[in-house]
Amino acid sequence: MPVLCNSCAEKRAVLKRPKTGHSLCKECFFWAFEEEVHQTIVAAKLFKPGESVGIAASGGKDSTVLAHVMKLLNERYKYGLELTLLSVDEGITGYRDDSLETVKRNQQQYELPLKIVSYEELYGWTMDAIVKQVGLKNNCTFCGVFRRQALDRGAIMLKVDKICTGHNADDVAETVLMNVLRGDIARLRRCTAISTASEGDGVVPRCKPLKYAYEKEIVLYAYFKKLDYFSTECIYSPNAYRGYARTFLKDLESVRPSSIMDIIHSGENLSVKEGVRMPVQGTCSRCGYISSQPLCKSCVLLEGLNRGLPKLGIGKHHRFHEKILSQQPFTEKEEKKLKSVEF
Amino acid sequence: MAAPLAIHLEFGGGAELLFSGVKEHHVTLPSQSEPWDVKQLLVWIQRNLLKERPELFVQGDSVRPGILVLINDADWELMGQLDYKLQDQDNVVFISTLHGG
Amino acid sequence: MCQAEEEYSDELGSAHVPSVSKKCVKCKEATAAVVIRAGDVYCRACFKEYYIHKFRATLGKNRVIFPGEKVLLAVSGGPSSCSMLHQVQEGLSQSVHKKLRFLPGIVYIDEGGAVGRSVEERLRTMAELQAVFKATGFQFYIVPLEEVLDLPGSVVVSALAPPERANSTYKAEVDHFMHSNCSTRSAPQDQDHEALPEVQESATQMLQQLMLSAKTLTARQNLLNTLRQHLLVHMARTRGYSKLMLGDSRTRLAVKLLTSLSLGRGAQLAQDTGFSDSRYGDIISVRPMRDHSAKEVFYYNHLFHVTFLFIPSLDTKMTDKASVQRLTESFVTKLQEEFPSTVSTIYRTSEKLQTAGRCSSTGDQCERCLLCLCTLDTAVDDASAFQATLISEQLSQTAWPRVDRSKVAKHQGKPESTSFTAQYCSAKAGAQDCGGCCSFAKEPEPMDLRSLLCYSCQLTIRDMSSIEHLPPYILSEAQRRHRRCEMREEISEFLLDSGKDD
Repeated sequence: MPVLCNSCAEKRAVLKRPKTGHSLCKECFFWAFEEEVHQTIVAAKLFKPGESVGIAASGGKDSTVLAHVMKLLNERYKYGLELTLLSVDEGITGYRDDSLETVKRNQQQYELPLKIVSYEELYGWTMDAIVKQVGLKNNCTFCGVFRRQALDRGAIMLKVDKICTGHNADDVAETVLMNVLRGDIARLRRCTAISTASEGDGVVPRCKPLKYAYEKEIVLYAYFKKLDYFSTECIYSPNAYRGYARTFLKDLESVRPSSIMDIIHSGENLSVKEGVRMPVQGTCSRCGYISSQPLCKSCVLLEGLNRGLPKLGIGKHHRFHEKILSQQPFTEKEEKKLKSVEF
Repeated sequence: MAAPLAIHLEFGGGAELLFSGVKEHHVTLPSQSEPWDVKQLLVWIQRNLLKERPELFVQGDSVRPGILVLINDADWELMGQLDYKLQDQDNVVFISTLHGG
Repeated sequence: MCQAEEEYSDELGSAHVPSVSKKCVKCKEATAAVVIRAGDVYCRACFKEYYIHKFRATLGKNRVIFPGEKVLLAVSGGPSSCSMLHQVQEGLSQSVHKKLRFLPGIVYIDEGGAVGRSVEERLRTMAELQAVFKATGFQFYIVPLEEVLDLPGSVVVSALAPPERANSTYKAEVDHFMHSNCSTRSAPQDQDHEALPEVQESATQMLQQLMLSAKTLTARQNLLNTLRQHLLVHMARTRGYSKLMLGDSRTRLAVKLLTSLSLGRGAQLAQDTGFSDSRYGDIISVRPMRDHSAKEVFYYNHLFHVTFLFIPSLDTKMTDKASVQRLTESFVTKLQEEFPSTVSTIYRTSEKLQTAGRCSSTGDQCERCLLCLCTLDTAVDDASAFQATLISEQLSQTAWPRVDRSKVAKHQGKPESTSFTAQYCSAKAGAQDCGGCCSFAKEPEPMDLRSLLCYSCQLTIRDMSSIEHLPPYILSEAQRRHRRCEMREEISEFLLDSGKDD
């Protein structure tokens, strides 16, 4: 006995929605999914007519669905947005080169312009070369810091007003959990924000139109729409600790499917005591990017790579900032400490 | 005694990596006294198809949370999940949501 | 999504227990008996001092309990609350300067009826605890949870807080107390302690019906916690206590914090896990065991022969995935094994949180959750998880694109939204005006509680097959609130300025 769609009450349902428990047929699901993203965009006032928007595209499921839905809604509701795909080439052979092929196909399919910025052109280092120097332990730190800035630099080259990313509800909920587990109150407070205002020159405002879309629905949307996406794990092993939070979240979802939204609701309503010290944002004195320290993380990491002291940017080494800025040499003891690489 | 079942299995979203990268499998489940259900299918897959790291595919007697299952293109949650009785020519799809963004 | 979206520099220390020296780190003489954290080993005597000091210090630095105040200790019979009871006894036997200065009483709530224990088992547990309580000489109350069915509606109304006693007066009152005669022994009780309470079978059946109307263990556990809390507050109020002392250990609170977070109680985290909780107004709950880890409690109880019982509860012998609470507990326990700083890191997070301050200054009862009594967290922006869920519920039941025009509310006067005309009903209007229209309950409920509940308690009610088994005091208070809201709506058109609507 097939389950009928809760919405049209005519067709056979193809999925059970985790957020609400309703069963929907394919057509009603497409409509509801797209409409919800639209409602999110309207309610949070993510865009203004005439804006130029870069869609961060990795070729994975989230950004592929994001590009598809943004293109569709821009036409359906006449947002008047100028959309561009923006990709970062981290220089990971066998992973990013393949996924960029997917992005290039998306470019054809959606008829959107595409801009690719590479770590190599921006920093002079590919991830392959970085891993060769730092090993597999802290490589994700480099990649994460560099990507954040790379997207901004690409956006500035394209002169876009905003970047939208494919973060979904699961990602946001997972980040809330991570920040609690790490006791990172500053990030905990801001990680549920749907958009970031421009924090200064060189930083382009970002937003997450899929913030309230479940991963399950994104994957099923891509599956039923037969969207072309790339689904291989990065070859440089992911952060194990985050894996615990992910597993916990997926288990929670299986116990109570609304958990993911419930955690986001929690995150949105947290209230931090006055008097809890929060880092003050300034700008990097070398590249001008936002930073709570004299030098931004990206510049410190790069300095470490170029000097052959890869641990410079790992952990807290604020006391070295002055030395780097005034180009003083490190002592032998300091060098030794910063050189050691554990595998 | 139930007759052997010919079914079509598909792995996607990265789940295929646990099956040597092969996405589509046409398999025949041997005849047995009880009708085949999804729970037994998972055991059969684990014994006959799964190439590595079973913990990334199954957990307890179900699939690992984060792997979506579609039976004849419908969410298995609508079909009775593990208790669904397989029919000849059924199409079962496993998609991982855990890979890439 | 890539895992490295945000970078975190702090290393999360893995469990590497260094080889421990055999001498106590404190006195450097005696042989160590207890390993508290990696590297910190204490001898028996120093551990006892450390443990007792922490308890006193937690109470001391928070300055919430005033000298001579009546404090009701909620003892569940488990390790942590029994250890707390032991600490209070210790504190009363100290010399004058270190002596605890409040008047303790004990309450035990027997939940056996809700958990499905037999009358004999329940009586056995009560008799064992009675012996423990008697030995303390404190006033004590043994109450079956069934009594919750007869509570007055005032339990779910936050009472007015007594005039606040300033921190500065604390010291003066302490001094005053020290100079006067400071006997804190309670007067001999008039209560007949030999008789254990008798429970009517029909009451147990009603309680069980109520528990069974919750379809998930998650909701059942929430319901049980809520009822227990109500009964505790009622006991304190009617017996003249102004403080309720809860035995949550640090480990318990870390689990509770993550559980509350997962259940959508972000706005209530500070009250759920902080040192003191004033949601009931006149009765303040305090958690003086919050600095003690479960491991320390276990060692202490073992070394100093603190009696505690194992009392089965709803999730006893259940699998990890039986409920959100159960899953979270097993997650924290496993993570703690691998990363020993897990519990203390989560706990530190709780110290930095405060209660969300959305409560209107009028202290209107409509603004507080009918079940947990926290300030409602449902009046949120359009761009929020709560509203997004309401929109999803609506979109999942309206056939598209046949939009029911009666439900469509225009997105009013927002500059950016004019070009993106909101086609669908503003869910906010739906939630507030038509109450039940967003509910996906198949049959009309006799009464819709959703508008009276916080986000998380709405989830609990959603998991219930029916609300008709809820105790009368909850249902009658709900009716009273509904009537008041209706009345206010009726008279609102006659008022020139309703004042609090935005």
